[in-house]
Amino acid sequence: MALINQATKEIQLKIVYYGPPQGGKTSNLEKVHAEVEAAPETKGKLTSLATNSDRTLFFDFLPLETAVIRGFKTKFQLFTVPGQVIYNTTRQLVLRGVDGLVFVADSQYEKMEENVQTFANMIQNLETLNQNIANIPYVLQYNKRDLPNAAPVDYLEYLLNNRDIQVPSFVSSAVKGEGIFETLNMITRMLLHKLLTENGRKAA
Amino acid sequence: MFSLPLLIGDDIDVIDAAMGDFLRDSGARLALLIDTGGFIITSRGDVGAIDMSTLGALAANSFAATQAIAKIIEDQSVTSLYQQGNENSLLIVAVDDFGFLALVFPAVIGVGSVKYFAEDMIIRVARQLHTARSRAPGQGIDLSALNLADPAPLFRRRAAP
Repeated sequence: MALINQATKEIQLKIVYYGPPQGGKTSNLEKVHAEVEAAPETKGKLTSLATNSDRTLFFDFLPLETAVIRGFKTKFQLFTVPGQVIYNTTRQLVLRGVDGLVFVADSQYEKMEENVQTFANMIQNLETLNQNIANIPYVLQYNKRDLPNAAPVDYLEYLLNNRDIQVPSFVSSAVKGEGIFETLNMITRMLLHKLLTENGRKAA
Repeated sequence: MFSLPLLIGDDIDVIDAAMGDFLRDSGARLALLIDTGGFIITSRGDVGAIDMSTLGALAANSFAATQAIAKIIEDQSVTSLYQQGNENSLLIVAVDDFGFLALVFPAVIGVGSVKYFAEDMIIRVARQLHTARSRAPGQGIDLSALNLADPAPLFRRRAAP
């Protein structure tokens, strides 16, 4: 969960990229790491615990810091989870302490069932941690829009964004770097808004 | 939303003092207080070239994985994890349900010695976290400087060369 360190004037937030296998979660972090405008001291190393075939084994991890928010140094930790089903236990571990989620869906027609199953799996795994998806800010990213067999966005919205409250969604091509910063900026803004309003209520 | 208490300067001072005493008595190199999400709360000692953010993330997930493995083999109470190295070793010890200490020490020092001197530190750190948690949540924090109406994105793509 978000950590506010009044002593060091730091706010720390954890964002997890979740989604079906080979949907582009790691590509998101790689592109953010490669292309973000940041002073060297505010951008950490991208750490990937991957198999020999470059499939995520445990997680990818990227620490980022923003100096935009006055008064508090705000640190973000971006994680991915392994998409493969056999690593579900590690997905649960990475979700511990999550503040916000980015669900990276694969836009290809043949991946729709996996998208829906993985979204349901995310909700289940949050429940094992006594977390409710309704209380956690999240955004949807429809990735691989550059591929010819990409399903219409409306269809993805119907499958994944049909809850009582619709969440922001973005189209992307992570390997080309398209849509990844829009996604990241939205989830960080939602997190900070929640942080501010919750603290406002508590302080009132 | 918060798993850890809102920490103020007095809390950090007490925790840092406990860590400082531990480092002096044990000969350990570095002590870090980390939350279960992988965030470094505070640290004392010789950081050197250690990437602290990455160490925190890896230690948190490693400890969580160890605890998960323990449950599989029907052991419910893993409170520490020891990694023996050639130059430096690592001991991770739970403080409470929300945080743990990662202790880096020269491999020539026995882990038993480190565990012995860590006991007092763990008690002091846990007591201070409890004290902090007992305060009214949100007390003393001022987030009025956050300007959420500012439309400027927090993260920007670097301009092409």
